[in-house]
Amino acid sequence: MLLNPLTLHLPKTPLEAAKLYKELEDSKVLAGGTFLLNSMKLLKTKGTKTARNILSLAKVDDLKGIDFKGDTLTIKAMTRINELFDYSLPKGHLEILHTVCRNISTNPIRNMATVGGNLTCRYTWTEMGAVMIALEAKMHFLGPDGKEDILTAEDFFKNAARSEKLFTHVTIKTNPAARTAYRRVRKTLHVDIPMLAICVKTEIKGKQWYNSRIGINNGVAFAQRDPVLEAFLDKSSSSSGLGEQALEYLTATIYDTRSSEYKQHMFRVSLRSAIEEICKST
Amino acid sequence: MALKSKSKYEDEYVDPVGKSVPRIEGRGIVTGQLKYVFDVYFPNMLIGKMLRSPHAHARIISIDTSKAEALPGVRSVVTYKDTHQIKFGSNEYFFPHTVDQMALEADKVRYIGDEVAAVAAVDEETADAALRLIDVKYEVLPGVFEIEEAIKPGAPQIHESLNNIAVILPVNFGNPERVMKEADLVREDKFWCPVAHPAPMEPHVCVGQWETFTNKITLWSSSQAPFKCREALAKTLKMDLNDVRVIKMAVGGGFGGKLEMLPMDFASCLLSKKAGGLPVKISLTREEEFTTTRRKHGMIYKIKTGVKKDGTILAITGEVLADGGAYCSYGPTVLAAAIMRIFMVYKIQHFRMSGYRVYTNNPISGAMRGFGGVQSGFAIESHMDLIAKDLGMDPIEFRLKNITEPNMVTVNKMILTTNGLRECIEKAAKASGWVEKRGKMKNIKRGIGIGIAADVMGSKMYKSHESAGAIVKVEEDGSVYLFTGAADTGQGSNTALSQIAAHELGVSYSRIKCKAGDTEITPFDTGSFASRVTFISGNAALLGGRDAKLQILEIVAQDNDLDIKDLDIRAEKVIFKKDGKALMSFDKALELCYSFKYGKQIIGRGSYNPKTTPIDFRTGEGNVSGSYGFEAQIAEVEVDTDTGNVKVLELWDAHDIGKAINPQSVESQIEGSLAMGIGYTFYEDLRFKNGRVLNANFAGYRVPRSIGMPKMTTIMVETDELEGPFGAKGMGEASLLPTAAAIANAVEDAIGVRIKELPITADKIIKALKEKSAQKI
Amino acid sequence: MQVNLTINKKLYTLELKGHETLMEVLREHLSMTGTKTACQETECGTCTVMINGKAVLSCITLAANAQGDEITTIEGLANGDVLHPVQQAYVDCGSVQCGFCIPGMIMSSVALLEKNPQPTQEEIEYALDGNICRCAGYPKIFEAVREAGKKMKSEN
Repeated sequence: MLLNPLTLHLPKTPLEAAKLYKELEDSKVLAGGTFLLNSMKLLKTKGTKTARNILSLAKVDDLKGIDFKGDTLTIKAMTRINELFDYSLPKGHLEILHTVCRNISTNPIRNMATVGGNLTCRYTWTEMGAVMIALEAKMHFLGPDGKEDILTAEDFFKNAARSEKLFTHVTIKTNPAARTAYRRVRKTLHVDIPMLAICVKTEIKGKQWYNSRIGINNGVAFAQRDPVLEAFLDKSSSSSGLGEQALEYLTATIYDTRSSEYKQHMFRVSLRSAIEEICKST
Repeated sequence: MALKSKSKYEDEYVDPVGKSVPRIEGRGIVTGQLKYVFDVYFPNMLIGKMLRSPHAHARIISIDTSKAEALPGVRSVVTYKDTHQIKFGSNEYFFPHTVDQMALEADKVRYIGDEVAAVAAVDEETADAALRLIDVKYEVLPGVFEIEEAIKPGAPQIHESLNNIAVILPVNFGNPERVMKEADLVREDKFWCPVAHPAPMEPHVCVGQWETFTNKITLWSSSQAPFKCREALAKTLKMDLNDVRVIKMAVGGGFGGKLEMLPMDFASCLLSKKAGGLPVKISLTREEEFTTTRRKHGMIYKIKTGVKKDGTILAITGEVLADGGAYCSYGPTVLAAAIMRIFMVYKIQHFRMSGYRVYTNNPISGAMRGFGGVQSGFAIESHMDLIAKDLGMDPIEFRLKNITEPNMVTVNKMILTTNGLRECIEKAAKASGWVEKRGKMKNIKRGIGIGIAADVMGSKMYKSHESAGAIVKVEEDGSVYLFTGAADTGQGSNTALSQIAAHELGVSYSRIKCKAGDTEITPFDTGSFASRVTFISGNAALLGGRDAKLQILEIVAQDNDLDIKDLDIRAEKVIFKKDGKALMSFDKALELCYSFKYGKQIIGRGSYNPKTTPIDFRTGEGNVSGSYGFEAQIAEVEVDTDTGNVKVLELWDAHDIGKAINPQSVESQIEGSLAMGIGYTFYEDLRFKNGRVLNANFAGYRVPRSIGMPKMTTIMVETDELEGPFGAKGMGEASLLPTAAAIANAVEDAIGVRIKELPITADKIIKALKEKSAQKI
Repeated sequence: MQVNLTINKKLYTLELKGHETLMEVLREHLSMTGTKTACQETECGTCTVMINGKAVLSCITLAANAQGDEITTIEGLANGDVLHPVQQAYVDCGSVQCGFCIPGMIMSSVALLEKNPQPTQEEIEYALDGNICRCAGYPKIFEAVREAGKKMKSEN
């Protein structure tokens, strides 16, 4: 058989799931299964042991769904990538989530993979992280005692995407003044592993940029912000040359100078074009 | 006696040739009921696995299988000790010394993945565990992995051949050195054509069963060439051909990789014997597919051409180095095809090119769709465009000045009869708007480029005979069997051959059932490759239909006191040839044959041997094929100079196929070829390091998918080849050959950079653009 | 452990170990070999089935995790002898060659057309991007999807 023997746990509520998350030893969380089950099969072919206990969230209905109330968009952990793509997002900068979803992997994977999985899987190259950082999203976790912890996406990734508690949902605020742009570069055409992903968000007053956020996925480190570039943009106004000027402020350690010439070139091309896109829209 | 009711077939008769009749297997495919060997499950079936060398080059010191044999659930283990240690190869007739592979190696392993042993167990887990228990002691030897390193004196010797050169093909005509001096322009280019892999969706899979009390073997194999497989099995197992039965079921794609017996076919039979006759199924994982089955030869292609300033080609010289991997497989003939295809396309009198098929400790190169023509297509068509550019000539004008013509004999004695190359070029140019676009779209970073090609459609390059046979058996109720050895691997040969047989017999297509690719039941056929099936197997089916018809007409003539020469069968009726008047229905004629009085069984036989002359591999001379096909392809691209991404907007492909037996099938094949051509141009690049495949999976080895395919326009040119069945020549590979060059030529038209090493990737474009702007400063 | 799976509207009660993938259950336990497998790395799409109307990969679906879901395989599309419009369109448009990718390709097509019988070219491409076809080059597959969509729209 393709997998090693395992015990499947099927909680029905988030609290049940959170308790099992804490209690189960030698366990992994099964959300969409596109990462977990694939890697478990691969490990088995190499003769490696895999987790005995599988905590499946498939039947936890309260972890499914997207909701928009007031000014807050709530995306629950088990939301499938395609569900987010098909959801009618509020008009404005949050629509960038459609673009992000469209570019992830292939259709059946988009039907199975979850937002929660993409954020918490601890693969550095998954792109939801960069986007959530840019959107100033808050990530919500549930403990076995029923208490909730809230972390900004930025802080979550600063801690290498580790979570002691079960991830339940992410909340993002809308903002009529906000603008976003997203760029993603594949290793080669059609590869579902991105070489880099960038999300630029800013709030525009007149033409002035403020409260900018640059979420970056360089494929090597966990998703992070670029504070130097943000500081420059917050002193700037939209103009046709802003994208080009911004390239003077790239931090070598973030854009990974050890990478190939092409990757460095594409970082510059992507940032410039994302910034230009926002300038054009203002 | 009451008249029998009119045949259900008479009313619905439609001449099948030239009709897009739906694929026979269509219904089975779309309901998931069509069975592939992949889907075969027998009761008591064992699962087999191959033990493979982890070293690229090593001597085998000892093999101890005792622990594996003792593992509960293991039913048999085999090594070379269970074999006759007979080598096999695919170019035995012309190059006997290239028979260099043993199914289970005895003294040396030569690539990572080389088969050393095999096990059969009750399930996959046990088989895997058994493999880990086989103890093989190796003496690791230094390996060599680059072509240019392998031919240096002092390089590790892989086989007994000098400097690791398996075969040298010197092809010489005229006096190119002298004539080159008369040229107004001489240009030399070097190209790298990377390694691609057939990557069929169904992996290699076989089930072997050895009937121990009769010593008869049955092998169900996902094979393009069941008779070739049978031949090799019989040879290596020292059995008569009629004790080996190879059955081809539906095949999930082959593309050249399933043309030979592989060690797994051999092993499954032997494992079955040792397991007391239980069937043993061996199915390759995708990783094994990419690493241990035949792949395309990577080639370094050097070409130098001298031309007059009016564009006439005077002389061509060059050198081709092909990375053959660890064993020979089809290597020599691939190399020959890579060098000699040019004679079908351009008129050349003075030529010298040497081809070297080099052994390396990389996985084995063999036949893959295009058969050397994809590599040579890229190199030659890029090179021709560069010459045209140097001359200041339009690339089409340059080509038209030099292309071959109908009814000519080439310098290497290929006899070209029908030749639609000019028509293909002109039609493709017109359809694509060449004149309006070429050189005129640089401001929007668009470009248009052309590549042309020719291919053999009815060739013989392997055995003393490569004839095809067919049997057309007409049952008493008028239903008809067509038995053909041709192997349908998805290209629709069962359907096309049935159309041909039905037409020749004179009956409705719906009477025919086709049984193909079972060596015990169907007549010999070399297999599905070299685009030969329509022409060679088609002619055999035609002759089989004709023979059946004549047997029927003989009875009718005898019974009615007529001369058989005056009769024919058309559209379900026996007719008089001179005025088309009907004498009786087909069913009535059949009734007569199967009557008490005559009792004549109608079994039509056809055998077709294409009229070719053997290639003299010392000179390169020989009319290798009974039919030659031609094509011209134009690509329009748009380049994003920021990201380096090249988008192919449209491909126009004009193909001389003689006659389209089934137009929809022909179009499908062309579209599939174009897709594979796009794959080779942009994504397909199997990479090695020290003999290990780095991207042995679909995540790393990218193939074209639904997103980003260009619009494809196919133009069929019908030149009605006399020798072909109803004028058909065949097709299947030609559209793959010039795609990479057409696109590379279009990219140069768009942005002025020339890529000479495939695949064309974004980073290469960016790098080339940077170098170009650096040169300008 | 006992696992109840609803496949093609029929309830199957199976005695499983618990770590079987849905693909293995279909092919080996239920002999429904229409669903294939060709890569074991989520790339090829030959194992595509529909779960609750969505195209998913059966090779990374735990059978035990799919209890209570509506599973549809290629074997469940035809109505007796009458092919589903998508199946018929693939036959009529000449979209099938070797056929190995077709069951998965058809499942992805059905999932698309049931929600959206008039998809744009882009929507078709994105819906099928998880199914590799090595033979056909895609144009006739797109044509079959469009033709089937027209038929399905007119039937509703």
